[in-house]
Amino acid sequence: MSVYGKYIVKKFFWYFLTLVIAVTLNFLLPRMIEGNPVSMIVSEMTQGMTDSDTIKRVYETFLVEFGIDKPLGEQFLIYLKNLVTGNLGTSFGLYPKPVTEILASAVPWTIGLQLPAILVGWLIGNVLGAVAAYRKGVFDKVIFPVALFVNSIPFFTLAIIMLYVFALSLNWFPLHGGYDYQMVPTLSFEFFASVLRHHTLPFLSIVLVTIGGQAIGMREMSIYELNSDYVLYSKLLGIRDSKIAKYVFRNAMLPQITGLALSIGTMVGGSLICEIVFSYPGIGTWMFTAIRQLDYPLISGCTLLIALAVLLANFTIDLIYGWIDPRIKAAQMEDQ
Amino acid sequence: MSTNILEVHGLKTYYRTRLKEHVYAVDGVSFSLEKGKTLGIAGESGCGKSTLALSLMGFYFPPLHFGSGSIVINGTDIMKLGKEQLRAQVSGREISYIPQAAMNALNPTLKIIHFIEDIMKEHRPELNKKQVWDMAAERFETLNLSPKVLHSYPNELSGGMKQRTVIAISTILNPKVLIADEPTSALDVTSQKAVIKLLKSLLDRGFIQSLVFITHELPLLYHVTDDIIVMYAGEIVERGTAEQMIFDPIHPYTKKLMGSIIVPEEGMKGHKLAAIPGTPPNLKNVPEGCRFADRCSYVQETCRKGKIESQTAGDRIYRCIVEPEVLKEWYANEAE
Repeated sequence: MSVYGKYIVKKFFWYFLTLVIAVTLNFLLPRMIEGNPVSMIVSEMTQGMTDSDTIKRVYETFLVEFGIDKPLGEQFLIYLKNLVTGNLGTSFGLYPKPVTEILASAVPWTIGLQLPAILVGWLIGNVLGAVAAYRKGVFDKVIFPVALFVNSIPFFTLAIIMLYVFALSLNWFPLHGGYDYQMVPTLSFEFFASVLRHHTLPFLSIVLVTIGGQAIGMREMSIYELNSDYVLYSKLLGIRDSKIAKYVFRNAMLPQITGLALSIGTMVGGSLICEIVFSYPGIGTWMFTAIRQLDYPLISGCTLLIALAVLLANFTIDLIYGWIDPRIKAAQMEDQ
Repeated sequence: MSTNILEVHGLKTYYRTRLKEHVYAVDGVSFSLEKGKTLGIAGESGCGKSTLALSLMGFYFPPLHFGSGSIVINGTDIMKLGKEQLRAQVSGREISYIPQAAMNALNPTLKIIHFIEDIMKEHRPELNKKQVWDMAAERFETLNLSPKVLHSYPNELSGGMKQRTVIAISTILNPKVLIADEPTSALDVTSQKAVIKLLKSLLDRGFIQSLVFITHELPLLYHVTDDIIVMYAGEIVERGTAEQMIFDPIHPYTKKLMGSIIVPEEGMKGHKLAAIPGTPPNLKNVPEGCRFADRCSYVQETCRKGKIESQTAGDRIYRCIVEPEVLKEWYANEAE
């Protein structure tokens, strides 16, 4: 096997180990939250019932049905066994809906909101940062403080302000949800338009924050690269400025690519606040609901999804980075 | 006209500080260089030798600015050319450069051959890729560099190798003048020797027609150069042949500088190793009279008045108001 192949196998092993630990924590942590999910559900179901015997029977039925009457170790083994077959269990809160089904319905909303927003924000942010570093002058004096300002506002504040101004006061956009509740999701033009209208405000809020962070990072990196010796040397050998700009921005982009891959990886987890503020029907909102209801399988399912996405993103970075930056590749080889 | 390949007349270049002060690091420098000759420029750190090297390239990057004077290469005053003309017709072709920090002079994410391709695209667009590759391989082989280097990234090369690669790249267009700014400073003795050998073979083969070699390592100058210029506080204080400058200096500064050689050459054994007391003057406000006066042990009252002009004695130029014969008498007395 080649040195690089060995490197990948070793990396893969470490990521797998991390995943195993993550799965264990995903299982354990929700169950350590104070409270009993069954009594919460039962007390809701048996409202108005007076027969304590019936209530007790309902309670015990659910206890057995959810499998939380067994010792924790046995529960974990069952969880693992189900996991291997791709079964994430049944939701407590939406019983008897399987967790996988809930996740499958939520993931498209999260990705549909986050992925375009991150990509657009990343692209605009990097272009602005690079131009600010290259042009300097007035452009830089305006872009940089604005980016810094936007980047410093906590996201939930920004989201709430946007919601207040554009949805509540100006009434340009709907206040919450992924589409009008009166509508039934179909492949109609009207439904699509509704989705788009609901999509705009959360989308813009993420784009704005992403632009701020990316522009600052790209500006710093570009200034650093512009001052490096190879820029001067290339100029003195008569290479035209546009070509040198290409050298500079390619090198300045390298850390930004890591940033992009990471934010795509953390997209599922990072969507929490945005989705809660805008009541968007994605993973974040579901996880929020699950935690409130002590819905163990759904919490574990959401966190597993988040852990998988982050690890996958990191592994991908490790793979492509060696390919685009020879210095990293050399360092990776040396580790062997 | 003479066979002068490079003629510099009254060159003044300055750094503009944040307070808009003009600091003249090269203050009225004039010299000429004949075809086939090597000129050494020596001096302490901060005497303006690296600034002179950059200034000779005709490109000025803030905070360095062009003041006045002319730089004539092969009959053309390059300071009269437009920026684009200079880049396309002079940089790398007529006059080329080896930077002080050659270690970082190469773009870390570009293979050597691709950098050479970019240079050729600017200066020899008629060549196709195959021709460029053949030409580069042939040149590297001629210079005893493995053509394998061409397909390496800069970080895969050792320090000495990188320096020699930079030299080969800088001279690939057979420039008339090569400016080498401390090309050996960061290298061990073995690599230094290889670099010197390489520079000499470039001259012998006619790949370059003349060499300006800037260093603070004086023994090296004796080996490499025909003539030596000693600079102090932005001015030339003395010019003569390497032989004259080392064994028969006129100016007290040259005398002191040569006395500070750490590795004495044959014939210099027994010379006492001496440091020059004090530091060069602040170029922001140069003192009236001789700029070396404060540190000169032979200082006279008249030294501190007016402007000290260059004197000529035969083929030598020096900047001191005391007669050479008198100075030599003083030196002889001191040695006893």
